[in-house]
Amino acid sequence: MILDIQINNCDFILHCSGAMYWTQQRMLLISDVHLGKVSHFRRHGSAIPGQAIYRNFEKLDAVANYFSPEKICFLGDLFHSTLNREWHLFEEWAARTAVPLMLVAGNHDIISPHKYEALGVRLQSEWQLDGFLLTHHPEERTGLYTIAGHIHPAVVLGGMGKQALKLPCFFRSPQQLILPAFGEFTGTYVLQPKKEDMVYVITKEDVVPVTA
Amino acid sequence: MNREQLFNIAHHWFEQQGWKPFSFQVQAWTAFLQGKNGLLNAPTGSGKTYALWFPVVLDYIKSNPDYKTKHKPGLKAVWITPLRALSVEIKQAAERVANDLGTGLTVGIRTGDTSSADRSRMRNKMPDLLVTTPESMQLMLASKGYKDIFKTCTAIIVDEWHELLGTKRGVQVELALSRLKVVAPKLRIWGISATIGNLQQAMEVLLGPTPGKPENAEMIKAHIDKKINVISVIPEKMEAYPWRGHMGLHLIDEVAAIIKKSRTTLIFTNVRSQCEVWYQALLDKYPEFAGEMAMHHGSIAKETRQWVEQAIRDEQLKAVVCTSSLDLGVDFAPVETVIQIGGPKGVARFLQRAGRSGHRPGQQSNIYFLATHAIELAEASALRKAVKDTVVEDRVPYLNAWDVLVQYLVTLAVSDGFNPDEIYKEVKSTFCYQAMSIDDWQFCINFITRGSQSLQAYDEFKKVEAGEDGRLKVNSKAVAQRHRMQIGTIVGDVMMNVKFLGGGYIGNVEEGFISKLNPGDIFIFAGRKLELYRIKNMEVLVRRAEPDAKAQHASWLGGRLTLSAQMSELLREELYTANTDTMSAEMQALAPVFLRQRKESIVPGDHEFLIETFKTREGYHALFYPFEGRFVHEALASLMAYRISLLSPISFSLAYNDYGFELLSDREIDMQQVLDNNLFTPVHLHHDLQSSLNATEMARRKFRDIAVIAGLVFTGYPGKMIKAKHLQSSSQLIFEVFRDYEPDNLLFQQAYRETFEHQLEEGRLIMALERIQRQEIVWKQCEKPTPLSFPIITDRLREKLSSESLADRIKRMTANYMK
Repeated sequence: MILDIQINNCDFILHCSGAMYWTQQRMLLISDVHLGKVSHFRRHGSAIPGQAIYRNFEKLDAVANYFSPEKICFLGDLFHSTLNREWHLFEEWAARTAVPLMLVAGNHDIISPHKYEALGVRLQSEWQLDGFLLTHHPEERTGLYTIAGHIHPAVVLGGMGKQALKLPCFFRSPQQLILPAFGEFTGTYVLQPKKEDMVYVITKEDVVPVTA
Repeated sequence: MNREQLFNIAHHWFEQQGWKPFSFQVQAWTAFLQGKNGLLNAPTGSGKTYALWFPVVLDYIKSNPDYKTKHKPGLKAVWITPLRALSVEIKQAAERVANDLGTGLTVGIRTGDTSSADRSRMRNKMPDLLVTTPESMQLMLASKGYKDIFKTCTAIIVDEWHELLGTKRGVQVELALSRLKVVAPKLRIWGISATIGNLQQAMEVLLGPTPGKPENAEMIKAHIDKKINVISVIPEKMEAYPWRGHMGLHLIDEVAAIIKKSRTTLIFTNVRSQCEVWYQALLDKYPEFAGEMAMHHGSIAKETRQWVEQAIRDEQLKAVVCTSSLDLGVDFAPVETVIQIGGPKGVARFLQRAGRSGHRPGQQSNIYFLATHAIELAEASALRKAVKDTVVEDRVPYLNAWDVLVQYLVTLAVSDGFNPDEIYKEVKSTFCYQAMSIDDWQFCINFITRGSQSLQAYDEFKKVEAGEDGRLKVNSKAVAQRHRMQIGTIVGDVMMNVKFLGGGYIGNVEEGFISKLNPGDIFIFAGRKLELYRIKNMEVLVRRAEPDAKAQHASWLGGRLTLSAQMSELLREELYTANTDTMSAEMQALAPVFLRQRKESIVPGDHEFLIETFKTREGYHALFYPFEGRFVHEALASLMAYRISLLSPISFSLAYNDYGFELLSDREIDMQQVLDNNLFTPVHLHHDLQSSLNATEMARRKFRDIAVIAGLVFTGYPGKMIKAKHLQSSSQLIFEVFRDYEPDNLLFQQAYRETFEHQLEEGRLIMALERIQRQEIVWKQCEKPTPLSFPIITDRLREKLSSESLADRIKRMTANYMK
């Protein structure tokens, strides 16, 4: 279900949900949840099964219970679009989770900052912490190791007998780590790793490092 | 005016043209004027347009004796054609009749090409006769006040009905007719169809099923016997014949020779990329054809296509390389010869193409068949048999196509709104929805009004709303606009327009092809070498490339065709003759290939079922040869893969063609166990197929079309297109959400049902398995690939099936690292 890795002498635990726990900071990092996407579709006349709305909150509960973090930081695209009624579900979730929440805003995060502030969510465009840069869009900055989202990375695996698999992954390169999208009902984008990259694919139950 | 006087008018007109009406034409006039509905079975180019335009005009004259001085406004008849390219031709025929008889009737066209200005002009003043497509017909039902437009209509004529039957566009026509029958009480419905196996059913689908024999319906057949000669192009030396491949360029000299000795030759290819390649290859090798040769396929600009069509008629062209884009429609009298490159896969299509030649009275149709790989030669003699015995396939109509119904209901809600009880009765009267239950209907209504399951507290679903009078209506302008944009049932890859930098539209190519190119790359399209300059707003800007630059051909995925049941049977019979001394010329030509095949394996006879296994660098191959056509093999492959995967965890990659299928794995299959367990049994077929479907991607792909048609995925506004990749992945995502949260949703289940009924053809599968049960299984363990196996194992389009855990599989795999 989990995999321990180290980056620049810090310990991280990768979780098969796509979340990542930063042990020293006791902080849970989650990227690209895209809350409200199902409601958004339904509001525009596309009858996506409404039950799917609850799944993201179940996943959030599960991963918060698993790590019991002291704080949770969302690496952007927490909400998919404009305000809709899923906001109430998020409010309820925030109340029962009862730890400080932070949002590094992404391109989809267009809900008014006042709404977040009212809920006690700290909103910022990026966050530098202990030699790491937490941001939504991947970027390389001298002297800092980037942890980002945005891409929804996936990788294609191949094997004998023309086997092929496409799986979402944590995508690690020398200067940055890109988290997979946490949200249900989000797509992926296939990246092609280079020699110096490391890839950890996620399945429903496992995080598996991929061999070159 | 009585019928005799009316017919005199018609006969007089024919005399003026120096023609004599065919008896089927007169029969059609009579039946129409008697107020009957019906189906006219007539081939392209037989004068079918005059068989039905004439009675429309005569009927107008009959009810308006002072027609020459007083014009009665309002729509009189609608002619529905599947291809908008044909609409001009049909309009001209109608205008000729209307004008020559001095009726003052006007003819208009309304298709996707019609400008919005013209459309709104039409709304104010409808032409008397309207030529349109199934999609534009639906769009008219989506506009306010459509009832007033159609209430005066006396006839709907559906042209090329055989092309629409068996597609969802046909269902659209069924639904539109169910509405118009009620709106226009004087309506007659007529279809025109080429010969297909199920003509009687075709009529039933068009007119709606009626218990007993419909008294008011008539089937009219044009008995035009034309001799068709099928000639195979067999090279001198068979050794040079490729084992696989789909281009067939090794016979280019033979093709050039045929072109040279004929006035005009149409060269039919099965896909657009093949069309491009042949055109270029002929020009390169025979530069003297320049100026006398053209190309015609669906992605080339409309103006260019129309120019080519006219040039054929004017006898300016020696040869035209084309695709199914020239299957239908207009007559090309100068065409003497037709060449078919690669298997046409179906007899009806082959006949239609053959019929493009020899239009002059008394002439014969000559069609040359060019096999692109060795085994395909067997198809030639099978085709000849099919032509001789006129074995023609059925077109299987869709049943319970909920996606089309849902779209139609929103269409009605967008225009004037609808009363559900009233529309239920109409929909139920169609062939497609005759077995619809009240629950099914309620599902569709729920789907558009509440988005299926509604979660009261948080739900914001909004589409169709019930008014106080109980009518269902779309109130939101945005919803209405999006829906109008989406009407249609053809879902394809997003096409991008190709334009010269300095302006000038060349045609369109699939986004998937362009996305693989970089600026500066050269590709061949519409017979030109083009350099990609850049991509901007769904437009591909190009400039002319140096003539000697190295280039790649534009490719189109397109649908792969499969052999029909009838063709498969003929082909099997043909191949089984390989072990006898009654071989056709084509089979005799295959002798060197059979020799190779027999080195390690056999050429199976009618009592044998051949399995081959061998190992290559790619893994362990197992090949099975039922000779049942691609679709049946697709089903058999996933069925067998599924059953074998139950014996022990294993992952397969599946490939198939019209002759057999392959299961490829990274470990050896225990074939003895497969045989001992009798895995070819028809017992539990339905259940096993259903399970194998869950394990493969077939239903998922079908769902993509359903999601678009049912309005679950929005494909975009013109000019502001969402990229096709987005559509693809979202319908994939939606499929997963339905699977996880609403598996009983009728639209989700439809994906599986359609895969069963239209792709896997369960009925054919059972017959195939029963046949295999009676055959002796011959398992050959070979050292290397055999000629029969070669085209299959080299196919790159593959399906996957696995019974291993993901983690186990990942362990044996590696990422695709950048080199």
